[in-house]
Amino acid sequence: MISPQLVQLQKQLKAGFDAHPCDLKKCSALLVQLKLGLSQAGLLPVLATPDPNMDELIFVRDILEIGAFLSIRSKDMPSFVRYFAQLQTFYTDYDTILPPSPRKDPLLGLNLIRLLTENRIADFHTTLESLRLSSEDATENRFIKHPVNVERWLMEGSYSKVWNAREEAPTAEYKFFVDSLMDTIRNEIATCEEVAYDSLPLKDAATLLFFSNRSELLAYAQQRGWQINLVAETITFATKGEEKVEIPKAKLIFANLAYARELEQIV
Amino acid sequence: MATTDVDMKSSDDKSKKVEEPEAAPAPPTPFAELKANIALIERAVTTLEPRFTHRVLRSLTAQRRKVDDKVLRNVIEDVYSKDAAVKDSLLGWLPNAASKDDVSMEVDVSASKSTSTTEPLPETEVYLRLLLIYYNLESPTTRSSTFKLAHETIDKIQAWNRRSMDPLAARVWFALGRTYERAGELSDIRPLLLSAQRTASLRHDDECQAVLINLLLRNYLHYNLYDQADKLVSKTNFPTSVGNAQLARYHYYLGRIKAVQLNYTAAHTNLQQAIRRAPPAKTAPGFFQAVHKFFIVVELLMGDIPDRSLFRHPVLESALAGYFQIVKAVRTGSLTQFQSTLSEYRSQFTEDKTYTLILRLRQNVIKTGVRRLSLSYSRISLRDICVKLNLDSEEDAEYIVGKAIRDGVIEGKVVHEKGWLECGGGKSGYGPEVSDVFGRRIGFCLELHNESVKAMRYPLNAHRRELAAAEGAREREKELAKDIQEGDMDEDDMGDGDIF
Repeated sequence: MISPQLVQLQKQLKAGFDAHPCDLKKCSALLVQLKLGLSQAGLLPVLATPDPNMDELIFVRDILEIGAFLSIRSKDMPSFVRYFAQLQTFYTDYDTILPPSPRKDPLLGLNLIRLLTENRIADFHTTLESLRLSSEDATENRFIKHPVNVERWLMEGSYSKVWNAREEAPTAEYKFFVDSLMDTIRNEIATCEEVAYDSLPLKDAATLLFFSNRSELLAYAQQRGWQINLVAETITFATKGEEKVEIPKAKLIFANLAYARELEQIV
Repeated sequence: MATTDVDMKSSDDKSKKVEEPEAAPAPPTPFAELKANIALIERAVTTLEPRFTHRVLRSLTAQRRKVDDKVLRNVIEDVYSKDAAVKDSLLGWLPNAASKDDVSMEVDVSASKSTSTTEPLPETEVYLRLLLIYYNLESPTTRSSTFKLAHETIDKIQAWNRRSMDPLAARVWFALGRTYERAGELSDIRPLLLSAQRTASLRHDDECQAVLINLLLRNYLHYNLYDQADKLVSKTNFPTSVGNAQLARYHYYLGRIKAVQLNYTAAHTNLQQAIRRAPPAKTAPGFFQAVHKFFIVVELLMGDIPDRSLFRHPVLESALAGYFQIVKAVRTGSLTQFQSTLSEYRSQFTEDKTYTLILRLRQNVIKTGVRRLSLSYSRISLRDICVKLNLDSEEDAEYIVGKAIRDGVIEGKVVHEKGWLECGGGKSGYGPEVSDVFGRRIGFCLELHNESVKAMRYPLNAHRRELAAAEGAREREKELAKDIQEGDMDEDDMGDGDIF
């Protein structure tokens, strides 16, 4: 049975979580108390039992979900990862027993976005596959659709679409990822430009890199070591000289010796 | 998918059928075949030669189609003496336990009864149980009792703990897996399989280990748990000494995991291995098609275009119709055709579990499109690229072209002020990478040769006879040499000795 004290704490936490603006300090203090209480009651970590108590499980799930959201709000990624890992039990193993949580899809979407911003594309796809979504869901569910689209645009190179989509985030928490995502994109574009252009007018470079003012662009250009011609208002990218194709002699000799040895063995 | 596994096994035994000693002109009765198999198993146990058991197991699929109630009953009656407890328990699993009034085979039974005087081995019981499991699995009425039978058999095997039983045990595990899959309760069996896998690896029981790892992988992939499957693969060593049937499966599952993780090169190698190790297409069409579906998608994702002749293969032609359309769309770089094909075959792709992989192809279609344009024009405006590739805006086109240049898909420069793309000449294609490809192929051939040398089997002690023969020859030669030296050769020696 859940002690009334814990229930009381959970109510406070929920109220604190829904309040605008959210008092992060107070909520995290409540979370610590709740987690302690849950561990003492033997509800955390969740152990496999033959007939699980539904109310208890839902109770724990609620707290963990709120914890996950709160850690994003306080920009604490490792904490989000921990909460999400704990929630996996509820989303996969107890999926058939428990009533679905309204916060599940947003959290899954957030996790996907997190993987994208950390540039872990392989993990992104593994997670996406394991969501067991029918193909309908991937295109209809707005929480999942957002990260899926973002990934597709990133891979295609339609960076402007990603940029424009940053306002379409389905929940407020997505915005916390936007900044780091934009940094990722900017670096991608910059590497593309270095190869694809000889030189670029300053104004166009700013638009391409989504900089709103010139000083930001200049600082960024300096950081990447681009040459700026202030008179002609252009950026010149350091051209890498035609790489001389060298014959990898040592490798070829080694390979040929290996063939000779093997052939010797056969004949 | 269900048919895949069955087909694979059937092919396995068909290909080896030729070697079977029972392949007499007139096909032997199922009863006689079973008796011969039991004899072989006993021989395997007494001589410690597992290959006799393997020979029996190769014919398992063919046999279990022929076997019926009557045959099983007769064999069990025949093998076990009248009052053996094992006999009653085995007979109890036959569906129609009451109908004992079948005497048609009775003569045959009593005739051969005298031969088996010793108490039958536990291996024989396991073999009979295996046949019973498959037999019960076939008919829907008895399927529920199969669970109990399979579990009881597994318990017995684990209690006996005999190494000579390993190949049989592996098959029983496989049958247990099939039982659960037929019932659609795959997730329930996972803990059991995991603990059995641990035991098998501790006992160096390669056969069981291979089967169990494959069962677990199949189990995970059925629920799309790629993470867990990947962890299992990284934590276990798949025994390479097992037969091709298990290896082909393992490579297939590995290929699927790797493809999801975007490791296309590794996936390509695994799937290729799976195809090479798989039995001929005609005998195992299900597996052949399933592997090829993934193979084609992975090849496309790598930027290659699969061979056209693949789609004319009689086994693959109809199964791969949708994939053929996708390949055509990717080859021409037409996004509209790609989208329409995708929506047309959507249900088929979802069923094959390739849908999400195919979705990833979108970028390849665009890349191919850009590449074609760059090859055909020396200078093209971004607007035209946008129109030709069906892109949403010129801005997008600029980014996409930039990315293509960076990724090395095309050579060229974007001139932003004029709004066009200047395409540079392509590479000649004769660089050091050619020797790399060549080296890889040679390496493969050499390894194939070495592997086949290693795989050759020689009968024990056969070299002694050869040695003796060689010794004799040397002796004769010596004598001949002595004769020559002494100079008393007769006409015959001169006749056949041109060399002198």
